[in-house]
Amino acid sequence: MSAWYDSHLVLIQSTFVGLLLALSIQFPLRMGVFSFAGVGSYGIGAYTAAIVISRYDTPALPAIALGAVVAAVIGWLLSFLLARLGGLYLGMATIAFDLIITVAATNGGDLTGGPTGLFGIIADFSMSELVVFTVVALVLLALTERGRIGRRIGAVRDDPELAASMGIKVRRYRQSAFVVSGILGGCAGAINTILRTTIGPTDIGFSLVVLALTMIIVGGARSWLGALIGAVFFTWLPTVLTVVGDWQHLVYGTIVALAAIWVPGGVLGLATTQYRKLEQRKRIRDLEATARAEPKPATDAEELAVLEELVQSTPGGDAT
Amino acid sequence: MTQTLDTAVLEARDVAVHFGGIKAVDGISLQLTEGKIYGVLGPNGSGKSTLLAAITRLVPLTRGELLFDGTEFQRTSAADVARHGVARTFQTVRLLHDLTVLENIQLGADLHAADAVWRRVLGETKPAAAVIEAIERTNLRGYEKLRPGELSYGTQRRVEIARAIAMQPRLLLLDEPTAGMNHTERQEISHLMKQLRSDGLTQLLVEHDVQMMLDTCDYIFAMNFGLLIAEGAPADVVRTPAVQDAYLGKKWRQNA
Repeated sequence: MSAWYDSHLVLIQSTFVGLLLALSIQFPLRMGVFSFAGVGSYGIGAYTAAIVISRYDTPALPAIALGAVVAAVIGWLLSFLLARLGGLYLGMATIAFDLIITVAATNGGDLTGGPTGLFGIIADFSMSELVVFTVVALVLLALTERGRIGRRIGAVRDDPELAASMGIKVRRYRQSAFVVSGILGGCAGAINTILRTTIGPTDIGFSLVVLALTMIIVGGARSWLGALIGAVFFTWLPTVLTVVGDWQHLVYGTIVALAAIWVPGGVLGLATTQYRKLEQRKRIRDLEATARAEPKPATDAEELAVLEELVQSTPGGDAT
Repeated sequence: MTQTLDTAVLEARDVAVHFGGIKAVDGISLQLTEGKIYGVLGPNGSGKSTLLAAITRLVPLTRGELLFDGTEFQRTSAADVARHGVARTFQTVRLLHDLTVLENIQLGADLHAADAVWRRVLGETKPAAAVIEAIERTNLRGYEKLRPGELSYGTQRRVEIARAIAMQPRLLLLDEPTAGMNHTERQEISHLMKQLRSDGLTQLLVEHDVQMMLDTCDYIFAMNFGLLIAEGAPADVVRTPAVQDAYLGKKWRQNA
């Protein structure tokens, strides 16, 4: 265990950081906000932590918190600027935001260390702290997928106009997506800086947008569990793929493309669909059984109506 | 200062909605008093749905005023209109397909969820009383766990109505609620609307089925080209020559 753990420590840490980054892209997507600003937030968090630790010897947790707050505030301001944009245009604008952060880091002079970045950023941050941190984030996000908030987020994503006519302040929800994304991205960036003790403009580039998106697309865009599946898969895949040597990137790309075509809801989406199909079949069987067993006139009519609807809506042959 | 004689739940004064050169609604004034069922009659494209969109603030007003319980709300947001107690259904079914029937209806009752933080976050595990009542009233018992994709069109429409009722509104706007329903289902909806009326709920019904309008409504507004061409008791309105020319056709003229 211990030997394996030591030799894979970097990958384990990367999984957690990758998960937080993926969540920062996923949260806005769950509200139908195509924002990739989480990667910019990652850069902001990374540099904020690097600067305060290297200059003022700030401990890890305050440095991470500060990175998250700065990224959240900038995300909040960004939400006003981009309030009127949607879909592809919002996606493009937020990618531009990410690139601006990279450019700012490259040209930041002494503050950001320019193209070479900053080195020797030493602060204590243990594995258990990383785990607690991530679990807390996951629990909070999982709560937003349930009950009242879960339903309302779904309404904001699937039909904003309907959501508004249900009394939901759609704009406020969308703005909160930028803030939450900023917090998550900022944390991920700050933690990564502390774990690697170094940060440079190439660490916060466009490739992170691709990485976070592939994690969510293959894992599942609707739930934290999907992001977790994706983060584990794509952090560990390259080590598995070392077997195929030079073909690694080709295999990687093929997996992403096939997943996008055949499993648009991701691994988690596929599982959910299958589970619902099973549920539906079980309901039909139950209803048929009760209909045969005890023909009570009053409730029977109701049950038969339900049964009829189910049979009608199920593609032929599937029902039996 | 100037009090209206009877309590108008909704009052529209010279409401107009223009889309560029198209005058979808062009100066409509109407008053809805508490506890009555109103109908809006008119051919396709006469501006009925735009009028509902204007009332629920989903389209901006070109001019005019809207008063809800005497308070102006032509500048409040759609969400605030809903919070004031205006619920609506849409011409096309707009249910959330990932949610079950129960969850879709709960979305309506979510408007009034308790303010306690833990409850907001966790969401109530048991459906609220308003949800159960809405399910009972729309005859949706037994459908709770199904998803919209598993339901017939008529049943999906009932879920929409249930969701609006679960908002516990003071004014309910129904945009062609019985489209795609059979005769029995239509009668059920008409019956439900009358039940809600006896509870004091004000309703505004947009509908193509003239018979249903006659059976259900207390008062009818007839629209054409974004204007009111007649209003009054249903039987009188359908006898108005302008209404017959615009909408009803020969059969109704002979019967009159």
